[in-house]
Formats: sequence, structure tokens, C-alpha cells
Amino acid sequence: MPEEEYDALVIGAGVAGMEAAIDLGDMGFKVMLVEKEPTIGGKMLLLSKVFPTLDCASCISGTKTSTVSHHQNIRLLTYSNVDEIEKSKSGFRARIIEKPRYVDASLCTSCGDCEDACPIIVPNEFDFGLRGRKAIYIPFDTAVPKSAVLDLDNCIYCMQCERTCPADAIDFLQVPKVHTVNVKAIILAVGFKLFQAEKKKDYRYGEYRNVVNSMQMERIVSPTRPYNAVVRPSDGKEPQNIGYVLCTGSRDKTVGNPRCSQVCCMYSMKQAQLIMGSLPAADITLYYMDIRAYGKGFEEFYRQSRDMGVKFVRGKVAKVEQKVNTDLTVYYEDTEGSGGMKKADHDLLVLSVGLLPNTDIVKAFNGIKVELDEVGWIKVRDEGKSSVLTSADGVFAAGCTTGPKDIPDSVLEAGAAASQCAAYIIKKMGSPIEQ
Amino acid sequence: MSNEKRIGVYVCHCGGNISDYVDVNKVVEEIKKEEPDAVIVKDLMFDCADASQSEMIDDIKKQKLDRVVVAACSPKLHETTFRNMAKRAGLNPFMLYHVDIREQASWAHENNRMGATLKALAHVRAGIAYVKSAEPLEKIKAETTRSVLIIGGGIAGLKAAIDLSAMDVNVVLIERSSKLGGHVAELGEIYPYYTAGSEIVKNLVDELSGRGNVAIFTNATVVSYSGYLGKFEVKVQRETSEITLQVGSIIVATGFDTYKPYTGEYGYEKVRGVITISELARVLSTAAGDGSAELIYDGRKVRQIAFIYCVGSRQKPPEDGGHANQYCSRYCCNAATSEALTVHRKFKDIKIYHFYRDMRTYGRNELMYESAGRSGSIFIRFDEDHPPLVAEEGNRCKITFWSSLIENQPVDMYVDLVVLITGMVPSHNEELNRALSLPVGVDGFYKEVHPKLRPVETNVTGILICGTSQAPRDVRETLSSASAAAAKAASFVLKRELELDPFVAFVDPGLCEAHQECIKECPYGAIELIEESGKKMAHVNSAKCKGCGACVAVCPTGAMQLKGYTNAEIKSMIGGLAR
Repeated sequence: MPEEEYDALVIGAGVAGMEAAIDLGDMGFKVMLVEKEPTIGGKMLLLSKVFPTLDCASCISGTKTSTVSHHQNIRLLTYSNVDEIEKSKSGFRARIIEKPRYVDASLCTSCGDCEDACPIIVPNEFDFGLRGRKAIYIPFDTAVPKSAVLDLDNCIYCMQCERTCPADAIDFLQVPKVHTVNVKAIILAVGFKLFQAEKKKDYRYGEYRNVVNSMQMERIVSPTRPYNAVVRPSDGKEPQNIGYVLCTGSRDKTVGNPRCSQVCCMYSMKQAQLIMGSLPAADITLYYMDIRAYGKGFEEFYRQSRDMGVKFVRGKVAKVEQKVNTDLTVYYEDTEGSGGMKKADHDLLVLSVGLLPNTDIVKAFNGIKVELDEVGWIKVRDEGKSSVLTSADGVFAAGCTTGPKDIPDSVLEAGAAASQCAAYIIKKMGSPIEQ
Repeated sequence: MSNEKRIGVYVCHCGGNISDYVDVNKVVEEIKKEEPDAVIVKDLMFDCADASQSEMIDDIKKQKLDRVVVAACSPKLHETTFRNMAKRAGLNPFMLYHVDIREQASWAHENNRMGATLKALAHVRAGIAYVKSAEPLEKIKAETTRSVLIIGGGIAGLKAAIDLSAMDVNVVLIERSSKLGGHVAELGEIYPYYTAGSEIVKNLVDELSGRGNVAIFTNATVVSYSGYLGKFEVKVQRETSEITLQVGSIIVATGFDTYKPYTGEYGYEKVRGVITISELARVLSTAAGDGSAELIYDGRKVRQIAFIYCVGSRQKPPEDGGHANQYCSRYCCNAATSEALTVHRKFKDIKIYHFYRDMRTYGRNELMYESAGRSGSIFIRFDEDHPPLVAEEGNRCKITFWSSLIENQPVDMYVDLVVLITGMVPSHNEELNRALSLPVGVDGFYKEVHPKLRPVETNVTGILICGTSQAPRDVRETLSSASAAAAKAASFVLKRELELDPFVAFVDPGLCEAHQECIKECPYGAIELIEESGKKMAHVNSAKCKGCGACVAVCPTGAMQLKGYTNAEIKSMIGGLAR
């Protein structure tokens, strides 16, 4: 394939990557936006509602996902990995591998007939294992592009999907496509990974079914929820007494992350408010160290949560035990109130897991040093100048690439990355593209 | 109706999403029967699929369709898709109407198939009625001026100016005081960089100086503005003269004020040795110290210091509904722990007692909190209903506090210095706010259109906000938001021409009697009174109009109407629905 030319390469099409790409595209720059998942939108698209305004995440992401899909200056590649980046005359040359979907996305109408026909069921990663999907599947209802994708690792080649598809979109002969692109600058918007709650052994995640992580809870309360009701995994009972363990995997040296993840206090309170909407009789208790409601409108949200009856217990949970009826007992130190070691029963326990670096992309840089900080986030070169500068000239960072951030801060920083990137390209190439 | 109209109607199954509950075939048959102008009536598995779009384009061209109705999902999802399709087919995109029969019919009435079908049919009839009376519309084009006015010469304004200038945009920066740098210029070491505030300002000013496309005016304020995105005209008062600037966009970066405690608040101005964090920062920035020095303040040797947090922030809303700073000032926990570390680093044997409510050292700042705890800081939490008391006793400050760790019994403690960790308050800009009609939130800071989708935009398109004028922030976050505002401004003005939606108000000159109700009602100042051939009448500036329709509702004569939603179009739709 011939080499393609763009002004900027944006890696990651979550909310930060989309915002940066739109800003650059609106300025008249040609942008290649690459997403490794079969759908864009990142973690935000999987959320229920978002704090502190409580708007529906997929509805407000909708304008961004549709803009990047139709923007005249943005070329979007999904299900694609940036394999190698090296210096070139114009700036950088990147090799991008577009993985085969085994479905022609331009023909697929996402009718779902292939899903019905497929006999293989595996856990759905987009629901964090709460429900299954087929080997051929549409990632979720609001996925963009909304096209099926075939997971060949789990496929048994029964060809049921191919026979069923009314659009003749299934194509087992697809092979990976290699794109070589030349760009002047790069924006990394690679987001974050969730803390693996199994590592906090005392909380028994992965062992007790009613101990879930906050992303699973997010799915349970979202409009496209797996159970179509707020119920607990072990027996489908409506939970009436839910506990939240904040700082799971954050502010915790024993798991190697001494930093605060910035978003967990707020999303936990948000989930609490949403649950109270679905299950008005439920009691909700947050076990916390400090409530970090520091952003615009956050403190007001915290006060509102207290006024709505969310219980806040200042203390760290030490261990969790399961009862015969799959209810849970938590042991914690009550640092306020009457103090001392206490225990409490809950029928569902949510671990508010922290955010960890997702910076494998640095390995793709060949002969270019993109440094990481001591926890593994992309290191900021000079914060007194701008927090989107990485150690490599011409490589910028947006959103959670440099550390945990909430959506408002990610979007602001994406704008900042676009601004620094645009200035860099103009300085290098002279005047802007669109005259 | 005449036979000149050639309408195409496409009813979507949405792969069962619609057709499971709506009898799509029945809708098609009914429309075929009753609507002679509908040249083509079809049902498609997915209207939005590329193949279906190609089929529609083919139909429009071959059958010479001049109007199209698409009955599918919500227009929010795919209206743009179908309008673009129409454009590709050579049809004016506004001659296509998208009706919703999924969210509003099939999904809303899953338990009533007959009802869902009848509702879908009614929607399609309304859509047909609409396109019959529709007129082709063109997007409004507006020229832009490639320059931006930045109001405020603190770090946010400076950063936005640097970025825009680097993006080849002309910048005029005005500052109401006599010097640049705002509050930051006066601060000592700032977390997390450990560089002095004055140094950060100097670097920004150095980066800006010598640029040909930046003009800086100090002692300058905004008097008034007119115009709209791409073409604002701003009158600016300089020392003795008034100048007029032509700019494409405006960035407001007016910063914050520090909260000043009232006399007697935690002993402020009453008890000797009670100061604010800004005063402590000044003391520390001039004090040399290598870890063995002694700290002398006001002639008193300081061994113990009390920090009291959340002064002027996180205030409880008063029961009478009066004003309180309910918000968290965000930077203070971090700044206070950073100042504590500076004290521990410079001076020997000083204990600091931190009276806090929640330590909000978010992110990496957590490491400062932890480090302070190991360097001689002791953290004591207090409840909002039981704040510590400060009194003078002997030559020291007496702190009385209640802590749950000591069974909520009052405890007295003596310190040499009390530092009030004061928050940020909105800066006083009443005149500017009036001049630019800037929206202010309940917290007193400028209000963005949407904190996530459009965080730097205000409800006046083209007027942007950033930095601490919008919300409390630290230096790093302020710089980011300034850059984000610069990016947005650049995206406006780097285009020579802007395209705006055509759904704006217009006046029927024959009906307008110059009642001027519309002028009073318009929130965007888009309507003015003009005189044409001796008759006074309202006139709409299409570039300023947002199409909200407020003027249409109040017009007593029906002269004011909205393009794309004229009275005739709406009436015919109601006719279609009620058929």
C-alpha cells in the first residue's frame, strides 16, 4: 500500500483522543485517529451517567463519536495497532496494523443475525465479564462503528454466521492491512487500565461473586446494562445494602500505587446516587479515607449525596467474608464515630478500583525516547510550560496518558494537546494548511 | 396539492428494532394508498447502511425526487448522515426530513404494537406534510477575522497568547492592572515544580516577547462589544484613549481573588500570629534556610504552627438561603502541604499541626501529603460543625479543637503561628460581565456551556473562558485550560469562513409593526430595529441568532418566524399528525 500523509497521528479514540482530533481537524489539519478496539469512545462510552452533571455518557459522547466518524479532516482506523514509530523526514513514520474483523464493516448493518447463529459463548470484555457474547459479536449497542467483529480465537469455523448474514458481510479471507503513514506530530491519548482487584487479596474479588469492581457496577447501572435491572451476580437478588470500598488499588503502597486516582470518590458517589434512583430502599455505605471532591461542582455533589442519605464511614476495610446466603461481612476500622474495629453486613460490595498506566505504546517508538515516570505514566517534560509535553519533541500527551484524570480535565487537556501540537506543526511547516 | 412534488419515503426496520413492534409494511402500504405525491415508498432493513444510502441516491437522481422523508431512529443519531446523503445526490439537504419511529414509536410502545404502528404512521404523515411546505435552505456563511482578544494578563492569558501567536493568529492581550503575571507573580515556590511563581511568569513573558503578532496593553479594560463569532468589535479603554479592536474571538482569563477572612474569623486580625497562606508564602519566599535556621515571625520564634484548612471554602449553605462559598477551592490542600514541606526543609524542629476536613491531595500530590507526615507534620481532622477555635493566651495562640480520636472532648493546644489556608473567590468583574454579557454560575465563577463537551465555551459563541475565572485550579491545570481555549479560538479563526446552521429567525416585513417585544426577549442581542422605506421594523442578524425561537413566541403579529420551522411548516405537520 502507498504511504499516507497526515499532519498528526492521534493514538487512542477515547474522549481525549476524539477531542484532540476534532480540535485539530477543525483547525484544518489532516488527522489520522487510531483505535485498537473494534469501537471508539473508550471507557467513557461504557459508563452510565457521568459526574457531576449526571448526563448520560453515551448520549454526550455521541456527538463526539459521530463527529470523528464523519469529519472531512479525520481518517479513523479502528481495531488497529500502532506497531512501530520511527523518525522520518517529515517528522515520524508510523506503521499501523489494521486487524481483520472478518466482517466487511461497509456491508454490515449490525442486524445481529450472526450473533444469533453463532454457537460459541465467551465472556464479554465490554461488560467486564458480567455477561457473555458470541464469537462473532457487536461490541455493545452504542458501538461506533456499529459493525460485527469476529473473534477468530474462539471461532470453531462452523460457518453459521456466513450462511446467515443477509448482507453477505462475513469474509473469512480478510488479512491484516498494513498502513504506513507519515506525520508531523503525534498525540498519545492512550487512556488507562483498571487496577486488577484480585491483587488486593483481602477483598476476595474473583472469589466471592458479590464482590464486584466499580466498572462492573457501572455496567449494572447503565442503560445498556447486562441484567436489565440492578441485581447482584450471585443469585439475581436486588441488593438492599451496598458497600463501596474506596481507594482499592490507590493510595496503597502494598499494591505499588501510592498515588490517588482522582476519580474514584466522585464516581462512587455518582453510582450511589444512581442506585438510589433505581432502588430507593437500598442503603449505601462508602468506606473512605478522604472524600476528594475537588473539581467544579464536586463538593456540591458530595453534599447532595449526604443529603440523599448515602452513608460515609471513614475507615479502611481490612477483610471481607462471605456468608452462606452469599451476603458479605466487612471488617473495618472506624476512625470516627465510636472508633475501633467494627464489622458490617452488605449484600453487594463494590471495589472502587483505581486507574493505572496503559503506556505499552512507548515500546512502539523506535529510536525515540518517550520517558515514563516512576509509576509508569508518560512523563511530562516541563509542567511549568505545559502538561502535555512528553520527553520526545513532537510527541504530545492528552487525557489519562500522563496520569488519572476526570472527564472535564481530560477534555481540557486534549484541547491543550491540540493547541501545542498545532503550534508545533505550524512552526515546523510554516503556515497552517487551510488558507 | 399539485403533482410537481416528488417525494421519496424510506421506512427503516432497524434490523427489528423498529419492525419488531411497528408493522413497517402496513406503514408503507398506507402511505402508498393515501399519498399520490409519494413517488417512492420503500421499507429498508437499515436506512443508514451504505448500501441503502446508495439506493436512495439512485432513486433521487433517477426518479427526480425533490423531497425525502426518512423514518428511522432519532434524528440525533443520523440526521446528519441523511442530509449528507441528500447533498451527495444533489438535493438541498434541508428538503429531507428525518422522523423518529424508533425511540418515539417502537421502543416507547413495546407492549402495544397496534399503537406503535399508528404512531409511526402519524409521524411519517407529519414528515410528508413538512417536506411539502419546506423551502430549500442554505447554511449561513460568516467571514472571520484572524485575531483574538485575550482579557487578563495572568498566567492563563499569557499562555493563551503564546499558543495563539504560535498558531499564526494575531493576539491583543489586555490587562487591567499595570503589570503582567497576576497572583502567580507574587507567589513563592509552587507545587509541584518547586519553581518560584515569578519565575514561571518570567518564562511565559519571555516566550511571548519579540513576537510580531502580539500586542499587549496594560491598564486597559473592556468598555463594550458588538458583533458575533468571527467578527467582534470591542471597545477598550486605555489610560487616556479609547480604541476599537476587530477580533474573531475573545478569551476571558480574568483569574481569581484570594479569599480574605473576615475580622475575627479564626482570630484573623484580632489574634497576633494569625496569618493567611499567602502571607506565609511571602515569608517563606524571602526566608533563606538550609534546615538548621530558626523561623522568626513578628518578633516571635516559631516552634509550632497550626494550619487551618478550608477557610472560605466548603462553607455550609446557610439555612436562610444566603450566600456561602460551598465549592472546594481545589488547590489549597496541595499548596498547604507543599508550604509545610518548605517549612520543614528550611527550618529546624518546627511542628506543624494541620487541622483539615478531607485531605484533597489528589493524584501525585498524595506523595507530598505522605512526605509531610514524615517530616514533622501532624494531621488532625475536624468536622464542619466543630471547627477549631483560636484565641490569644499569653504570648501564644491557643487552639481548641475536637477530634473523634480523642472522643470528641475539647483539647487545648498552644502554637506560635496560625496559618489560615484560604481559598479562591471569583474576581470582581461586574463591569466586564455587563460589557460582554458573561454568564456566571451559582458559585460566582464563569459558567461554561457544558463542563465535558464544551468546557471553554460560553453561551455567546466565540467568547471563551479559561483558567481560574472559570473554577479554582492550580498552575498546571490553568495552563492546560488556557491552551484548550486557544485551540478552540484557533479552530474558529483559522477558517476564513464559518458555516452556521440556517435555522434562524426572519421577519415578514409586511406583518411587522415594530412592537419590539422580540428585541426585549432575544437573549443573544441578535435583533435590532431598522427603518426601511420609511417603515420601522425588526431585523435579525443571522450570524448572532441561535434559532431559539423566543422572538417567535412573543411576536404579537406573527411577523417573526423561524427558518426551517415556519408557522406554515409546523401547522402542516400538526395537520399530518392529527389526520
